[in-house]
Amino acid sequence: MRVNVFLLAVIVFFPMLGAAASYLTGRKDKALRDRVVGIVSLAEFAFLVILLLGVGRQKGVMDIPGVCGMGLHFATDGFRAVYGTIAAFMWMMTSVFSAEYFAHYRNRNRYYLFWLVTLGATEGIFFSADLYTTFVFFEVMSFASYVWVAQDEKEASLRAASTYLAVAVIGGLVMLMGLFLLYHQAGTLVIDDLYEACRGKNVYPAAACMFFGFAAKAGAFPLHIWLPKAHPVAPAPASALLSGILTKTGIFGILVISCKILLHDAKWGTFVLVIGTLTMVAGAVLALFSVDLKRTLACSSVSQIGFILVGVGMQGLLAEENALAVRGSLLHMVNHSLFKLVLFMVAGVVFMNVHKLNLNEIRGFGRHKPLLMAVYLMGALGIGGIPLFSGYVSKTLIHESIVEYTEAVENGALAPFVLGAGDMKIIEWLFLISGGLTVAYMCKLFFAVFVEKNEDPAVQKTYDSLNGHYMNPASTVALVVPAALFPLFGLLPHFTMDKIADMGQGFLGLAEETHSVAYFSFANLKGGLTSIAIGVLIYVLVVRTWMLKKEGGGSVYVNRWPQLLDIEELIYRPVLLTILPAVCGFFCMLLDRSVDFLAKILPLAGSVEAGFFDTISDSVIVFLRRTVYKDSPQPHELEEGNGLTHVLGRLVNKVVALLNLTFWRSHPNKKDYEHRFALAYESFKENTGIIGRSLSYGLILFCIGLCGTLIYLLVGLFR
Amino acid sequence: MNSSFLMVLAVFFPILCGLGILLAPQFQKRELLIKAEAVGLAVTAALAVLSLLGGDMQITFLRFGNDLKVYFRLDGLGRLFVVIISIVWVLSGVFSFEYMKHEKEEKRYFGFYLMVYGVLLALSYAGNLITFYVFYELMTLGSLPLVLHTKTREAIMAGLKYLFYSLFGAYLVLLGVYFLNRYAITLDFTPGGALDMARVSGHEGMLLVIVFLMILGFGVKAGMFPLHAWLPTAHPVAPAPASAVLSGLIVKAGILGVIRVVYYVVGAGFVRGTWVQTAWLVLALITVFMGSMLAYREKLMKKRLAYSTVSQASYIMLGLAFLQPEAMTGSLLHVVFHAFIKSCLFLSAGAIIYKTGKTNVDEMTGIGKQMPVTIWCYTFASLALIGIPPASGFISKWYLASGALASEMRVFSWLGPAVLLLSALLTAGYLLPLTIKGFLPGADFDYKSLTSAEPNRTMLVPLAVLAFLAVALGVFPNPLTSYIGQIIGTVL
Repeated sequence: MRVNVFLLAVIVFFPMLGAAASYLTGRKDKALRDRVVGIVSLAEFAFLVILLLGVGRQKGVMDIPGVCGMGLHFATDGFRAVYGTIAAFMWMMTSVFSAEYFAHYRNRNRYYLFWLVTLGATEGIFFSADLYTTFVFFEVMSFASYVWVAQDEKEASLRAASTYLAVAVIGGLVMLMGLFLLYHQAGTLVIDDLYEACRGKNVYPAAACMFFGFAAKAGAFPLHIWLPKAHPVAPAPASALLSGILTKTGIFGILVISCKILLHDAKWGTFVLVIGTLTMVAGAVLALFSVDLKRTLACSSVSQIGFILVGVGMQGLLAEENALAVRGSLLHMVNHSLFKLVLFMVAGVVFMNVHKLNLNEIRGFGRHKPLLMAVYLMGALGIGGIPLFSGYVSKTLIHESIVEYTEAVENGALAPFVLGAGDMKIIEWLFLISGGLTVAYMCKLFFAVFVEKNEDPAVQKTYDSLNGHYMNPASTVALVVPAALFPLFGLLPHFTMDKIADMGQGFLGLAEETHSVAYFSFANLKGGLTSIAIGVLIYVLVVRTWMLKKEGGGSVYVNRWPQLLDIEELIYRPVLLTILPAVCGFFCMLLDRSVDFLAKILPLAGSVEAGFFDTISDSVIVFLRRTVYKDSPQPHELEEGNGLTHVLGRLVNKVVALLNLTFWRSHPNKKDYEHRFALAYESFKENTGIIGRSLSYGLILFCIGLCGTLIYLLVGLFR
Repeated sequence: MNSSFLMVLAVFFPILCGLGILLAPQFQKRELLIKAEAVGLAVTAALAVLSLLGGDMQITFLRFGNDLKVYFRLDGLGRLFVVIISIVWVLSGVFSFEYMKHEKEEKRYFGFYLMVYGVLLALSYAGNLITFYVFYELMTLGSLPLVLHTKTREAIMAGLKYLFYSLFGAYLVLLGVYFLNRYAITLDFTPGGALDMARVSGHEGMLLVIVFLMILGFGVKAGMFPLHAWLPTAHPVAPAPASAVLSGLIVKAGILGVIRVVYYVVGAGFVRGTWVQTAWLVLALITVFMGSMLAYREKLMKKRLAYSTVSQASYIMLGLAFLQPEAMTGSLLHVVFHAFIKSCLFLSAGAIIYKTGKTNVDEMTGIGKQMPVTIWCYTFASLALIGIPPASGFISKWYLASGALASEMRVFSWLGPAVLLLSALLTAGYLLPLTIKGFLPGADFDYKSLTSAEPNRTMLVPLAVLAFLAVALGVFPNPLTSYIGQIIGTVL
């Protein structure tokens, strides 16, 4: 147990230390820095494997009391260990791939610094035992990963990054509001205690706020806007992680709400199911329309998140009977992380070589590159839900859970909540159609990149010339290893995927051992095959005809999505950046100026008033001056000096005369002191007159008087 | 030495030193001036810290009759303020050693700077309302030369605005003092209030008006709507280190005044549930939103930060207005955090002005490449102010929001946290663009013409220390929180 605790601390904080180490070494030596990054992510993966193998099913907790006020709390169980391991695995693989991908990038040091910080924060989220800790690491992750999106600093990147940051900040704040409300109602944020603490309380407002925040990160409709913007501009390894893992931290939060707070709550389940369905369909449609390789993958992520949310919603609806939904959504999370890892790295290989992503420009890049094509196919078949590949298993489980619920409602075994059996049928069909769309857009990418020839033969020639040396051995390993997992998982689901589901399902509130599902029975195959058939039809009928415009001899992929229908440009940006600030700012400015304005008005009013009194007082003064205060007539010019000066002066004159006769005979003093004293007296009189007439003198006298009065009063009062 | 004597020494030593600097012509020489200022700051800080080591102590040094006296008494709240004031004052002082090189008349600046330090310490030590009022006025007058330092027409007008607003506020307070002298048992600060209920009965309505006027009066310094307008005028014209202490500390003196009046003279119980509380909450909420909205629309960096202070100081007011222990914990935490954060932000603005002369946020593209350490400090402080965990602002907001919800005051209990978060969003909107543009200038940025503009150690060390505090106090807030808990335990 002690080892376990120590291991958790290492898993969360070791990457952060590694980040600092990589930054410091990177300032001196770039090659060494790359090695440090590789070692850190490898070591992190090793730690998690130890955790997974050694203590996977055990529960372990670690508290760091006092930090950040409420202390940080970590725990491990099967689900957390599985997801932590997947995260570390993805980081390790992308770090291997990054070395080649980033060879010519600027500011790599900055990138790696935030890359490793995000790894630590992501592990922190998955191992957090209370929502406070989750939130702390969630924010660190959001801000650190911002730098990835903006990495190349192009205008589009900066714009996409600002969208990403805005969604993250707004989502974070709304989530925080949810945490405030939850903490107020429940009195605790410890995930395992929440169910008991919230029972019987109306926690829906809190849950909705938290859902907003987590769904923003997960990319659920209508907060999915950052995904299609951020992924095409972010470096491919970063896109892989954004799509594969960072969105899953959002799902992690949604699972906490759905399985730890509102467990088996039909109302909540319906809400999540509706959001999930919208996300699933919207993402798939957007992906089909896209003509940009990474944008397609990004929209596909939105759609797959929708599949997972549908599974989460079904968990709530099916209540105690939700084994299929639990295992399905759990496995689809795992699968999607790995699919996107592989697919984005394939996109990364394309971009690394040709620096383009538009389907028309990269068309034909993959011709005669069997390895790349095989890797892509593994991912595409997996995500398309083709039997014998891993995606089929998870999608089938979710599909069967919908079917199970519909039947239960029809039989009357379960009381329907809002959505009746008919509505569920619609959702089932939307599910199958979205699955079909997945197949269709993966086909679109496959044929464009790997089968068709580029319209420009010269370009095709340069593409062909790359054959054999378009990626180095390290990158090859990074692509092939995860790709090999999909058929392995798909062929042997009972030995691989069921084991993962067994480990993880406890977290989702499913305790009992479940009987194994016959994945390849006809009933189960039917859904998958229907979906594939729809997909092929859509590809042939829609993509090949409507979305592929014939031009001259050849054809180009055109984006049929109306430019105007961009929810971000159409609504979010204008409202948030222009309308609201303008309106609120105007009112605030009014408030701000109001007092200054008053301050200007009041003296004006005052001066009018004062002017009135002024005219009165003037006339009064003139009147007084003419009567009571009339100057006395100017007296005639007095002789200089006064009596005293004359007497003194004469006296001194006599003494001086006497001295002149006796001691000063040789140097007699001939000054007239009578006149001198008189002059001194005149100047003294003049000065005192000036002082006496001055205002200050009057004020000084006034003050002295006031002080005297005060002292008298105080002495009188307190004696 | 008698430790209560240390308080007097800590107050009057810097005042006398400052006077000496102002009067003695020898200090025209810069070297000597800086040395004297450094010694003055260091000795005062040492005295202030030493004065904290003794137990509760008091000293009276002027007495008019039995209950009118000017006296110092050190309590928990005072200790907290002494520590904050000393840290920020000394660090900003060190920063200005270098910064003031490009301003004239350093002698005057440093003289008054040292004097106001003493006055602020006196405010923290003040044991009753009379003493507080006396030093409050002194603070206004002493800090005025810092505002109109440049003596441009703009600066003088701003200084006058500052003066008039402050005096108006102070007179409202003075009016209150007269009334409280009649209705309170004593004007000494008594945790929990000291109203003489026998005398008050029948005059509650009038006394509430008086309390509201006093809150408004102190609210002038704290930049609370409707009397906040001096802040955005005075800050841009003052030298950056002066803005730092104006925003970081002098604004907090208004907060301290409100706490002293409401929690130590009138008593929270008297105000709770009355229209005064409601009005106070409404004004604080308006200010929080208005300040951050205007900051968001402002382009001039220092003015933007000033509006931000308007908003943030009202976070504190909001927490106080809930009259609830947790919210007040949040308030006092925010007093501490905001002092460090905002002075850090103003000092980084100062460093940018000093090295590049840029004052407008839009001109600062690529600034992070020129002065990385400065902008990193700015960024950490910004994240702390927005309230991104684990940086400090998050902790205070957490307490503010839980306090608001726990207060159970119908609308306000959820509106308070909602406005706080909205304002946090705007805070992110007005602080982060500088970081983003500074570090991510765009792919077409001309790296060739880039010259390093990092300021020297004298400026960087204060910045780094403040930024470190802004983050570290968020990671390890518990000693501070429990200390504040003790203070609040006595008043609520």
